[in-house]
Amino acid sequence: MAEGRAREEFMAEAQELVDSLRRDLLVLDAAQRQGQADPDALNGLFRGVHTLKGLAGMFSIEVVGRLAHVLEDLLEELRLGRVEMTQDILDLLFEGSDGFAKLLHEVSTGEPAGVDVQAFADVLHSVGKVSVGTDNVLEAYELDRQMLAVLTEYEEHRLRANLEQGKGVFRLYVCLALDTIDSALEDIKERCRGTAEIITYLPSMDSTGKDVIDIEMWLASGTDEAGLRAVLKGVEAKIERVQRRPMPAPAGRVGASVAPTGPTGAVAAPVVPAEQPQEPTSPEGRPAAGVVPVSTNGPSTAVSPPAAGGSQVESSPHRQRTVPSAVRVDIRKLDYLMNIVGELGTLRSQIGRVLEDMRTGSNEHRKLVLDIHRIHRMFHRHLTEVQEGVLDIRMVPLSQLFDKIAVIVRQAARELDKDVQLNVVGAQTEVDKLIAEDLADPLMHIVRNAIDHGVEKPDKRESSGKVRHGTLTVAASHKGNHVVIEVSDDGAGVRLEAVRETAVRKGVLSPQAAVDLTRHELMQVIFMPGFSTAAKVTDLSGRGVGMDVVKTNITRLGGSVDVESVEGEGTRFIITLPITLAIVNALLFEIKGRLFSIPLSSVQEALIVDPGSLQTVESREVLTLRGETLPLCRLAVLFMLEQPAQPLHSAFVIVVVVGQRRIGLVVDRLAGQQDIVIKSLGKSLSQVPGISGATDLGDGRLVLVVDAAAILDEVLSLRRAQLRGGAVC
Amino acid sequence: MLHSHLREATVHPSEVALECLGFVLGKERYALPLSSVREIMRMPKVTEVPRGPRDVLGIVSVRGEITTIVDLRRRLLMEERPVGPRTRVLLVDHQGEILGLVVDRVLQVYRLHAEEIEPASVLGSEAGPHVTGIGRPGWERGVEVLELSDEGILILLDPFTLLKQYGGR
Repeated sequence: MAEGRAREEFMAEAQELVDSLRRDLLVLDAAQRQGQADPDALNGLFRGVHTLKGLAGMFSIEVVGRLAHVLEDLLEELRLGRVEMTQDILDLLFEGSDGFAKLLHEVSTGEPAGVDVQAFADVLHSVGKVSVGTDNVLEAYELDRQMLAVLTEYEEHRLRANLEQGKGVFRLYVCLALDTIDSALEDIKERCRGTAEIITYLPSMDSTGKDVIDIEMWLASGTDEAGLRAVLKGVEAKIERVQRRPMPAPAGRVGASVAPTGPTGAVAAPVVPAEQPQEPTSPEGRPAAGVVPVSTNGPSTAVSPPAAGGSQVESSPHRQRTVPSAVRVDIRKLDYLMNIVGELGTLRSQIGRVLEDMRTGSNEHRKLVLDIHRIHRMFHRHLTEVQEGVLDIRMVPLSQLFDKIAVIVRQAARELDKDVQLNVVGAQTEVDKLIAEDLADPLMHIVRNAIDHGVEKPDKRESSGKVRHGTLTVAASHKGNHVVIEVSDDGAGVRLEAVRETAVRKGVLSPQAAVDLTRHELMQVIFMPGFSTAAKVTDLSGRGVGMDVVKTNITRLGGSVDVESVEGEGTRFIITLPITLAIVNALLFEIKGRLFSIPLSSVQEALIVDPGSLQTVESREVLTLRGETLPLCRLAVLFMLEQPAQPLHSAFVIVVVVGQRRIGLVVDRLAGQQDIVIKSLGKSLSQVPGISGATDLGDGRLVLVVDAAAILDEVLSLRRAQLRGGAVC
Repeated sequence: MLHSHLREATVHPSEVALECLGFVLGKERYALPLSSVREIMRMPKVTEVPRGPRDVLGIVSVRGEITTIVDLRRRLLMEERPVGPRTRVLLVDHQGEILGLVVDRVLQVYRLHAEEIEPASVLGSEAGPHVTGIGRPGWERGVEVLELSDEGILILLDPFTLLKQYGGR
C-alpha cells in the first residue's frame, strides 16, 4: 500500500517533469529554426532532467535514472556550448523525452516499453564527444581580463554566444543593501527577462558604505543603453556599454579554446564599434570556421529546411500542468467553493429558524411561505454555483494536449521529409479533464494521418502551385455546450474515387451502395472498420489502428467526428465534443410507457407530426421538413418494444443531429427537459447498442440515456451500406 | 449424550470448509460463497434496458452506482415468476462489477465442513459448469431451522462461472 502510494507520487511528479521537458524542447526547436539559442529553455531542460534523475534515484527506478543521466551529460555539453544545438541533436532530445514517457508507462503498467537505454546512451555519447570550436570574440571587447578569468565556463560560453549573435555587453553597477540583496537581485533578473541576459555579477571588495554592497553586473542585450534604462527604471544603477577595442587583439585567448584561428567574418571586421546590429546569423549562414557539424548524415542544416515542422505553439505558462489521474487545483477555486458551502450553512440555520417559527406559531403562514420561498431560491443559486465550481475544477486547457501534437508534427514531418507548419488556435479552450485525456490518442492519430497522407512533399507541392511548406491547423473553440476541434491541412485531399474503389475492394461497401452514397456519406466511409486508403502500411499511420478506432474513441466521449475534403486542396476533420461529461441538459421522452432521455446537445428540435404527413422511400419512413428529407426511426421498434411497427396515431419526432447527419426519432410523448448526470452502465451492459448510460432523476427512478451518435450510425449510413438499403425500422 | 460426545470427537478436527449463503429458486435450494455476496436488498424498481442480455431484468441505482440486475431464474433456465414479498436481490461482486441477482427467498448462512460437501461429479453431466458441488448441511451443529426444512440439499454455485457471460474476462 505504502509502496503503491509512493509510486503514484513518483508517477505524478515524473509525468509533470516529462511534460515540461517536452515544452522546453518545443521552445528550443522554435528558437533553433530561427538560428537562435534559448539559454532559459536549455537550462530548464537541464534542470528538469536533473530533477528527474534525483527523483528516479529516490524511488529506485533505475532505468529512468540511467536515461536521465546520459541526457544530462549531453545537455551539460550543450549548455556550455561544447556541442552545438542542431535539429539532429533536438531529434535525440525529443527521442529522450519520448523514452521517459515510455519508461513511465512501463513503470505504471508493467508492460515492457522496449526502450534500450544503453543503445541510446552510445548514440548520445558519440555525439557528445564532438565539440564545437570557439572563436574568440571576447578579445574584441573592453572587458576586464581579471574578471574574464573568474567567469565560470558556462558564463563565458553565454557571453561569447551573445557576442556572436551581435548583442552588446553592458556593465551595470548597483549598490544594494545587504539585508535585501536577494530580493533586489531577483527583481533585476525579473526585469531583464526577455530584454537582457545577466551573464554574471560580482561584488566589489571596496564597498562605499556599511550594510551596503556594490555589485558589478555584466549584461548582454540586443537593445541599447536607453532600452536597458527603461527596463530598469526605478533601480538605482549606473549602466555603461562595453566598447569594442579599437584594434582586434591578435592573440591571447581566455579560456581553453582549441579552435583554429579562422576569422569569423562578422566579428573580425569592426567598422562601427558601438552600434552594430548584426543580423543574428542563422545556422546555415554562419561561417563554419572551426564548427564541426555534429550530425551523422552530412551537414545538419541540409536535413531540415528552414521551417520544416516549425510550430507556432501559443506560449503556455509553465503552471498549467496536469497529472494523469490527479487534478491540481488552484487554491482560490477551493476557497470559492468553501465560501459557497459557508453560505449553504447559513441557509441551513435560516431553515432552522423558519421551522422554529412554525413550531411556535409565532409568525403567520404567509410570512413563513415567503421565507421558505426565499431560502429555496437562494439554495438553488448556491447549488448551481457549487456545480459550476466543481465543474470548473475538472476543466483543463487543451494546451497540454496541443503541446504533444506539436511534438508529433515535428517528428512526423522529419521522418517523412515533409515541411509542415503547425498553427494552433484556441489552446486555452478548456474541456473536462477526462475528455482531454481520452482525446489524446484519436487526435494524434488524425494529425499523423494528415501529415502522412494529406500534406505532400515540398517538391510535389511546388509543382502543383502550392507553397513548399504545408500548413496544419489545429483550432479549438467553444460552441455552446460543445468544444469543436478542427484539424485541417492544405494537402492533397481525399480522392473520393479512390475511397469508393477501396471500399468495394475491401468489402466494406457493396458495389451498389458505393454508387448510391452521397459525397458526404462516402467521405464517412473512411471511418468504417476495415477501411484504409493508405497504399502501404507506414510506420506512422499504420500502427494497426484505423480511423474507425478514432471514431469509436470520440463517440465514446459523447462526441462526433466529421470529415470534409476537397481533392487537391486539403482535408478538414471536425471533432465535436461535449465540454463535460458530468452534467448534461437532456430532453425526456416516453416510448411505450417507458421514460428515456437524450442529451439536448444532439437535439435540433422536436416536432408534433401528423401521421398523414409521413412518406416512405424504399419502405423507410421519411418526413419532409422544410423542404428536406428527414429519415425517421421508430425508436419503439429499434428498441424492440413494439414489433412489428403499428400504424401511428399521433407522434412526436425528435430531430437528432450529429455532425452533419440528421435523423428523426419517433417517440410517443415528450416529457420535458432536465439537467442530468450521466452515469455509465456496468461492464455487463457495455455491448447494448444505442444506450450511453443512465441517470437518476432524483426520485430513485433510473432513466436510460439514448446515445444519439450510435443510433444515427446504426440507422443511417452504416446500416444502409451493410444491408444494402433494406427497410431499417 | 454419549452419542453426541462421540460425534463431536470425530468431527472436531475438520474446519469449516465453506461459508455460504443459501437461497431458494423455485423448488430448489442454492448457495453462493458468503465471500462473494456484498449485500442483500429488497427488490427495487427496475428500469428495463432494451436490447440488453436476455437474463438481465434491467438496472437500478444502488447508492448512486448503476447496478445490473440479473434474473437468476432466467439464467438457470427456470420458468419466470412474478416478484413476491420475499423476493430479494443479492449484490455479488463479479470481476469488479457489482451485479444484483434476483432470488425467490433468502435462507441463511451455512458453515459447511468438508465432509458435508459432495463434488459436482456426483451429478454426472447433468450439472452445469457453474455448480461446484452439493452441500448437505445440518446435523446438530447448531444451525437454526428457518421456515423451510433444512434437511434438503444445497446446490453450491460458483459465482464466476455463473456470471461469466456478463462481462467477466
